[in-house]
Amino acid sequence: MLREYLRREAVFLLSAGIVLFFIGFGVARPDLLDAASSAVHSAILDHCSWLYLISVFFFLAFALGLALSRYGTIKLGYDAEKPQYGFFGWVAMLFAAGMGIGLLFWGVSEPLVHFLQPPPFINTASPDAAAFAMRYSFFHWGIHPWAIYTIVSLSIAYFSFRRGMPALISSCFYPVLGERIYGPAGKMVDVLAVFATVFGTATSLGFGALQIHSGLTHLYGLSSAISVTIGIVVVATALFMASAILGVEKGVQVLSKLNIVLATALLLTVLGLGSTPYVFNVFTSTFGGYVNNIIDLSLQSYPFAGFDWSREWTVFYWAWWISWSPFVGLFVARISRGRTIREFVLTVLTVPTLFTFVWFAVFGGSALHLELEEGADLAAVAGADVSLALFAFLEHYPFAGLLSAVAIFVLIVFFITSADSATVVLGSLTSGGSLIVPTYKKVIWGLSLSAVAITLLVTGGLASLQVMAITAAFPFMLVMIVLCYTLAIGLSEEKVQ
Amino acid sequence: MFEKTLVPVAYGERPEELMKIGRVLRSLGASAICLYHVNEPGSFFRGADLSWLTLLSEALEETGLTVEAKTGNGHIASAIAEAALLEGFDGIYMKAKRRWHIETMLLGSVSRDLLRLADVPVFVHKVRPRLPGDGAEPDRRDLKILYATDLDETSNRLLPYVMEFAGAWCHLLHVRGRMADPLAERVRREAVDGKLHAVAEELRPYFERVTLEQRIGDPAGQVLYVSDQIEADVVVLGRKSPAFLSAPMGDTAERIVTGSSASIFLVPQPGSRNAS
Repeated sequence: MLREYLRREAVFLLSAGIVLFFIGFGVARPDLLDAASSAVHSAILDHCSWLYLISVFFFLAFALGLALSRYGTIKLGYDAEKPQYGFFGWVAMLFAAGMGIGLLFWGVSEPLVHFLQPPPFINTASPDAAAFAMRYSFFHWGIHPWAIYTIVSLSIAYFSFRRGMPALISSCFYPVLGERIYGPAGKMVDVLAVFATVFGTATSLGFGALQIHSGLTHLYGLSSAISVTIGIVVVATALFMASAILGVEKGVQVLSKLNIVLATALLLTVLGLGSTPYVFNVFTSTFGGYVNNIIDLSLQSYPFAGFDWSREWTVFYWAWWISWSPFVGLFVARISRGRTIREFVLTVLTVPTLFTFVWFAVFGGSALHLELEEGADLAAVAGADVSLALFAFLEHYPFAGLLSAVAIFVLIVFFITSADSATVVLGSLTSGGSLIVPTYKKVIWGLSLSAVAITLLVTGGLASLQVMAITAAFPFMLVMIVLCYTLAIGLSEEKVQ
Repeated sequence: MFEKTLVPVAYGERPEELMKIGRVLRSLGASAICLYHVNEPGSFFRGADLSWLTLLSEALEETGLTVEAKTGNGHIASAIAEAALLEGFDGIYMKAKRRWHIETMLLGSVSRDLLRLADVPVFVHKVRPRLPGDGAEPDRRDLKILYATDLDETSNRLLPYVMEFAGAWCHLLHVRGRMADPLAERVRREAVDGKLHAVAEELRPYFERVTLEQRIGDPAGQVLYVSDQIEADVVVLGRKSPAFLSAPMGDTAERIVTGSSASIFLVPQPGSRNAS
């Protein structure tokens, strides 16, 4: 009986064991954890940073290739199946998946930091630096992240909805592993997915907690001690755990929709109250530059000058998106049943991307306008503390206090809804793909997410979060390359008209 | 199958070795042999005395076969392939791991070129079946034939050639890729089993014993593995045009010929570049 339990729960026990070991190690010897994770991170970056660039570009080309090929007409479901959600409902949910803590965290600060600290071949705080900053913000948040999500979600959707297998990453490995997906090899694939999800989500939660704390400090003069950030994580954990355990799905959905409305309202307010034509010009010229240079951007690691810049930013982002991909991929797959591959890929690659471009043009473009045209010193603030940039930026608008309060509320709700969804996804991944997750697993994963975020914040703050995202994503990137292969095998067996 | 067989020979061939080959070919149904020598342009041996070829013919005739000797000119493999086709030979016999000219070692394998260019079946004799040293013909009942089939329509054309090994043990093998999900895999496995049984039923009247097997994986690797496992004497397989992507690794037939200890009987199939 015990043997049967161990066999059935191998993914849960193994992945929970690894995460608990990590937390225990971080609590007992934070210095050693920091040194160990930094060593692994350096090794990955020193030897394989190019692999991130080339892999993500391949994922994009592969996804587009599938959409435009004869396989584009294949349905993610049975042939006669209709889409589960209407087009607009589906697109709205894609927005929800695409918009998160990260957009709020980096929307203002990323363009400003690139503007102030570009690679060495660009003059700091120059118009060239501004154009570079906007182009790279578009690039890091553009079509590539969605190509990463597309590979995972397309694979899960194809193998579970069309091939009738459990919604697990290991199911997608059937063409290469066969019955071994039920053995140690398949379980290892699922453990890697869990590992990436835990650290990717914890990184986002860490960002969220840091920014909520900065906002509260900015607005209400709260202490900036790390203990307050930890307190924020603890309170948010209590809220999302309650939501996940009580299963208040409808409440969370209402909150999510309200959040999207509030985030959109924030966007429109900043657009309306700021220099609107300037923002539209920034959007148009950056979009043009992005489209014109997309291949160069995709494969550019600046080996001769700016190599460190590329590793710190582009590689970090690619790793972060990869570590989020099991989570977002599973979610996007679930809402996309009944869509054709072409419809799925083209919509997922374009709609959230365009929204993100608008977001960055509005927040980043407005921040650069304030910096370049109105003498605001926002870049210095972002350079000193990226989590503070949004609130320093909102200071330049009417009703700054209200706008900041709305931003903090949106951040808290994103924190709760993201962590809630991640808890359920982790539970599902460790329960053989079942949507019915035992409460004890939700408790363990919820607590683990927060504990990992706290451990990383205590051991090294923002830098530690980034280090772990890159480290955790590396093995899953290799998994994703195999996913492309297995998907191609699966599709090649289809009889396409 | 081997009734009229072309045997390429080169200077330095030993008569006693050729007589062993003759006995093997007789046991496979050969009655007439053509010893064929190609004078390669620029060869060191070009224009040399060809009396050795006559001596070889005379030695081979002692095995009871009708023997003739011919010579050709040009690129060795192309000349052999052309002669085999134009003069209506049933097959070409090649003993592997033998160098006909010093040039072949420097310029690449004549065997490889011939496998690629021949329009008639080619028998590449490797380590197994061993050439009998006592002057006796090998017994067919001792032979193990591995018939690797694609189970497609064109592979049916191979059956008459497989049947020529009547009396031996025939092991049918089909290698395929894994399907994308367990249900499709089960359906495919059952369908392949059905087809293999149908082929086995066709072959059963001719063979002492017919067994069958399907495997998943790389075709060349699996054929070589099974061939080693059952210690096959001859692997019978068809040759199709290699896919573009297989070019850097060599196509399946070429990889099997290179890696196998068993002899290979390679039959050009429709779709093959040179198949007639």
